[in-house]
Amino acid sequence: MNPQIIQDLHRFYPEITIAAALLAVILVDIAFPRLRKSMAFVVTGVGLVAAFLLTIPLFGAAEGTQFYGMVALDRLAVFFKGFLILASFLILLAAPGSRELSRSHLGEFYALLLGVTLGMVLLASSVDMLMLFLSLEMVSLSSYIMVGYLRHDRQSNEASLKYLLFGVVSTGSMLYGITLLFGLTGTTKMALIREALAQGAASGNNSMMLLVATALILAGFGFKIAAVPFHFWCPDVYTGAPTPVTAFLSVAPKAAGFATLIRFFFTGLSETSGASQWSPFSPLNWTLLVLILSIITMTFGNIAALRQDNMKRMLAYSSIAHAGYVLMGAVVLTAYGIQSVLIYLITYLFMNLGAFYVVIEIFNGTGSFDLKDYRGLYRRSPFLTISMTIFLLSLMGIPPFAGFFGKLYVFGAAVNKNLAWFAVIGALNSVIAVYYYARVIKAMIIESAEDTSAMRVPWTGQALVWVMLLPTVGLMVFWDRVQQLTRDSMRLFLGS
Amino acid sequence: MIGLTHYLVISAALFSLGIMGVLTRKNAVNVLMGVELILNSANVNLVAFSRFSAGNLSGQVFAIFIIVIAAAEAAVALAIVLSMYRLVKSVNLDRADTLKG
Amino acid sequence: MDTTLVAQIIFYFFALLTVASAAIVVFSRSLIYSAFGLLFALVGVAALYVFLGADFLAATQMVIYVGGILVLLLFGVMLTHKLYDLDLKTETYQFLPALLVVAAVFLTLLGVMLRTTWHSQEQAMSPTTAAIGELFMKDFILPFEIASIFLLIALIGAAMIVRRRAE
Repeated sequence: MNPQIIQDLHRFYPEITIAAALLAVILVDIAFPRLRKSMAFVVTGVGLVAAFLLTIPLFGAAEGTQFYGMVALDRLAVFFKGFLILASFLILLAAPGSRELSRSHLGEFYALLLGVTLGMVLLASSVDMLMLFLSLEMVSLSSYIMVGYLRHDRQSNEASLKYLLFGVVSTGSMLYGITLLFGLTGTTKMALIREALAQGAASGNNSMMLLVATALILAGFGFKIAAVPFHFWCPDVYTGAPTPVTAFLSVAPKAAGFATLIRFFFTGLSETSGASQWSPFSPLNWTLLVLILSIITMTFGNIAALRQDNMKRMLAYSSIAHAGYVLMGAVVLTAYGIQSVLIYLITYLFMNLGAFYVVIEIFNGTGSFDLKDYRGLYRRSPFLTISMTIFLLSLMGIPPFAGFFGKLYVFGAAVNKNLAWFAVIGALNSVIAVYYYARVIKAMIIESAEDTSAMRVPWTGQALVWVMLLPTVGLMVFWDRVQQLTRDSMRLFLGS
Repeated sequence: MIGLTHYLVISAALFSLGIMGVLTRKNAVNVLMGVELILNSANVNLVAFSRFSAGNLSGQVFAIFIIVIAAAEAAVALAIVLSMYRLVKSVNLDRADTLKG
Repeated sequence: MDTTLVAQIIFYFFALLTVASAAIVVFSRSLIYSAFGLLFALVGVAALYVFLGADFLAATQMVIYVGGILVLLLFGVMLTHKLYDLDLKTETYQFLPALLVVAAVFLTLLGVMLRTTWHSQEQAMSPTTAAIGELFMKDFILPFEIASIFLLIALIGAAMIVRRRAE
């Protein structure tokens, strides 16, 4: 065998572990009829933990591309590997405790979770357009199935159908754009695309084609991160899917989408190879394009959330708005911008998952996602109320919670690039958002309901909420560690 | 002389027709047919560019992967559509309306 | 192969077949006609692959797309209608606005495409199967392996969604 491949395999342990766990879960599901439920859970958990532990040493590994230039191993890739595996692990912990999934057999769910994790990890490291598309489809396909997991529930089925139809059209259009880029440059590897473009493949008349191709490719990315105008699937899918899946979708595939967006635009379409300053090719006014996208996304998300009475739908629009804030970090074409994206994603992971965990527990106790059934929750479960309040305050961006730091960095990145007015729009949006988050807090604490029986939250649920609470509240304490980590992760491998 | 542009025109036509199918059709299976047209248009592009622009077979290999992905997607899509039929007794997209609001 | 008159006539025949069949898929009132339109469109595309020298791909297209995916879609058509509903008429949403949008897309694409000078690096026509096989084992080995896991996931998922076992 080619010695290069053997070397690549030695640095591919996380992915191999996830794939092995996937196969193991399938076998275990067939082989142990009585212990099925717990065995599959344990295998998946062990697999994900092992993969995470195997990712850590990669942080210091030599940078380069693997498998003939298909995926890159660099700090950014390792950061996202760890992030995405962690996100999947947290969802794994939440799945058995949810009432919605209690009646379904979860063996396939764990297999799908491992599959989507593998896809996301590859997506975040892809540097070839074929690999990018294949991993994107792997993530999407697994997500469609997970959304439709409740086979007898009409809403779940409808959500998966809508997700699938919207998804295949978006990715199909993205594919068409990829083929046009292929025709312009003669290659599918991002580094070589950049070289070809630098040598004038997009000069003169060709600039129009580059614009068309990039716009189509952006359709696919926009779909994955649920940016306007590719967000239409988001509210319905988030509402109809089982809540653990919704929680997963709101964080993990979105983060993977951002990772690949950054990689594609920095590796494939930039003019310089340095990571500290980056300028796109002239016909592509990347700044303006993403700026407009970011503003429309956050504004639309925040305004649409104002009228929602269903918690899942409201959190769906809220996550659309947050994607807008993350895009703000991507607008500034500097390493500081990437760092702000990474920081925002870390804070977002904990506060958003935390909010969803509380929603799951409340559903377990009341059977409802409606805001009116959140009234007087303080009397029924002070624990859930306080934690939800903290998560919502963090989502609003109130200090000293984690969300504040995320917003601080993205707004700071904008101001740094003389886009202060952009940061002001972001701040105004945050103010609008306060209203709908505060509505929930008000309902829980101030309003009252007839039912004041205590709500029992099982210790597993409580533990999970604590796991999300601690970083949300305590991130401030470990701030330099986080900063250091994200600053180190900003290195992208740009060669071939 | 049949050149690159001939193939590109065909693929643009297929892509546009595919989008048309997705936008206008109400039957879910019909929408899937439109999606297959979109994927095929991309494949035609890939193979044509592989021959004229890339000078190697990478476009053809890419096209093979797209066929694989399309097959998997069609299988899952039809599974979901069948599931819908069992629940609602129809695959008309008008009947997919429980999530509105 | 691209230059003789007969070759050109055959090319235009298949090109027309493909596009016309695709139009039937999209505009026909009957679902069965759409399905058969798709059949001819896929066969037409396979013929185009032959013209481009992609022999292995043309065979793959026929076997998988026509022999697999199309049959699957036909199953889908048949299994999602009641037996007496033989007409299988389909309705449409907002035809005219969609037509305008799509026409705009098509004309834009065409206009920009025809003005672009594409990257030019021709490749001689030769049997591709062996070369593709080598590429799968070398340059494209990672996507190859990942595609197998991808298919596994699709298999598990599709089977899980439709199985009839009561919960």
